[in-house]
Amino acid sequence: MKWTTDWGLRGRMGLTMFLLFALYIVFLGFLVAFTNAGLITIVIAMGAFSFAQYFFSDKMALYSMGANVVDEDEAPELHRMVERLCQQADLPKPQVAIADSQVPNAFATGRNQKNATVAVTTGLMRTLNQEELEGVMAHELAHIKNRDVMVMTIASFLSTIAFIIVRWGWLFGGNGRNQAPVYVAILASLVVWVISFFLIRALSRYREYAADRGAASITGNPAALASALMSISGRMDKVPKEDLRDQAEMNAFFIIPIRSGFVGRIASTHPPTEKRIEKLRELEREQELA
Amino acid sequence: MGLMDTVRSILGVSAERDATRDADPEDLFGMSTAYVTMEADLGYTNAGAAALCFSSVDSTDFGDMVAEVEAILEAGAEETGTTFSQHSDDHGYNWVVLEDSDPEDLLTTIHFAADTFIEEGYGSRLLAAVFAFDKSDTDHAYWIYSFRRGAYYPFVPTGTHDRDSRAEFKLQSVLDGELGLERDEQYWYPLWPDTPGGYPWE
Repeated sequence: MKWTTDWGLRGRMGLTMFLLFALYIVFLGFLVAFTNAGLITIVIAMGAFSFAQYFFSDKMALYSMGANVVDEDEAPELHRMVERLCQQADLPKPQVAIADSQVPNAFATGRNQKNATVAVTTGLMRTLNQEELEGVMAHELAHIKNRDVMVMTIASFLSTIAFIIVRWGWLFGGNGRNQAPVYVAILASLVVWVISFFLIRALSRYREYAADRGAASITGNPAALASALMSISGRMDKVPKEDLRDQAEMNAFFIIPIRSGFVGRIASTHPPTEKRIEKLRELEREQELA
Repeated sequence: MGLMDTVRSILGVSAERDATRDADPEDLFGMSTAYVTMEADLGYTNAGAAALCFSSVDSTDFGDMVAEVEAILEAGAEETGTTFSQHSDDHGYNWVVLEDSDPEDLLTTIHFAADTFIEEGYGSRLLAAVFAFDKSDTDHAYWIYSFRRGAYYPFVPTGTHDRDSRAEFKLQSVLDGELGLERDEQYWYPLWPDTPGGYPWE
């Protein structure tokens, strides 16, 4: 059971990463040319901070979502489901967590396959049937398998530094003489930050498509994931707004982003649900007609 | 983690590729001598049953293939005396269960069934081959062959959600070298029976 390779998706993803990489190389060049001791301090401090964040990302994500890790006695069926999907995906079993929230959503976190956690909200488990839930869990496992946390952390590292320089770089302007280089660095950082922002968001959307394909490969059931996406996006409109804002910071790791209608399409971390469903429909069709 | 794995992760195709990777059924014949060792050295007798565990695909073609496997097994039953049954359990696993007191017949039949999956292009849907052994009527041990990992691991349940790790350790130590074992114990996925002392496919 194999689908035709989506070269368009791979090409776009490769191109986005290439552009990001090229942008960062130029940025580093600028930093080296126009920097002073103060800026270097920022870069090093941010490096340490990002490293720590990378290491504790799973705990932070779970904490900010109010998700608790559950053992097999507490959620035997969910554990069995994850276990079976992991067998198919050739993954070690991640930790399983449940967040008590009405918002139907799921996310995966953790810096690598051995330190991963998948989490679901109680709202998701109520909204979806078994097959649909499997589709969503498989999507999250595909994120783990594709090491999306690592890829996105690396991709956004220099972008974060650019942002910090834009924000705080003026502090290191010195006293009148030799100010120009710092402002060049700040201006360069601003340009890098804006461009990289959109590139990173594009990369994030492509990785969602990739995870959808991964999920369909794991469950062998693209239709169930499509119907899960439909029920989730339908339900999302009905939940209260306060809840949404509380959880907005976790958007990048959600299966469907909250407030997708507010942000422009190119600034969105997830592709529109209709497009994802269309892609899944193609897989379903190919599977039947093979 | 090799370089190619890293490249696949970066391109976001790891999940798709590993979930659709084909299986290799030749390793199943490794069980042939293991049956002897299990009985002679460890006192585990052949439970007379082995099973193929697979995850299904939501397509008509897949259903046809399963029906074909059944038809072939039906025909083979008259020759070898290996009886079979097919069912799915509450956890979404699908099973083809084979019963025969002769281990060689079990192996031939299970290999044949696995091979049909692969020939029809569904090799990646095979999860595990499970070989059952009895110490007593309620005391079972299993060798599980993971098609995804291409390796064996022992599984000795006590009750419905506890593992006898001492017994598993013993099985692992004794059969090491005879079977290609799964080194990473994180991949020793259990297949719990629904009732204490039962088989996982029941």
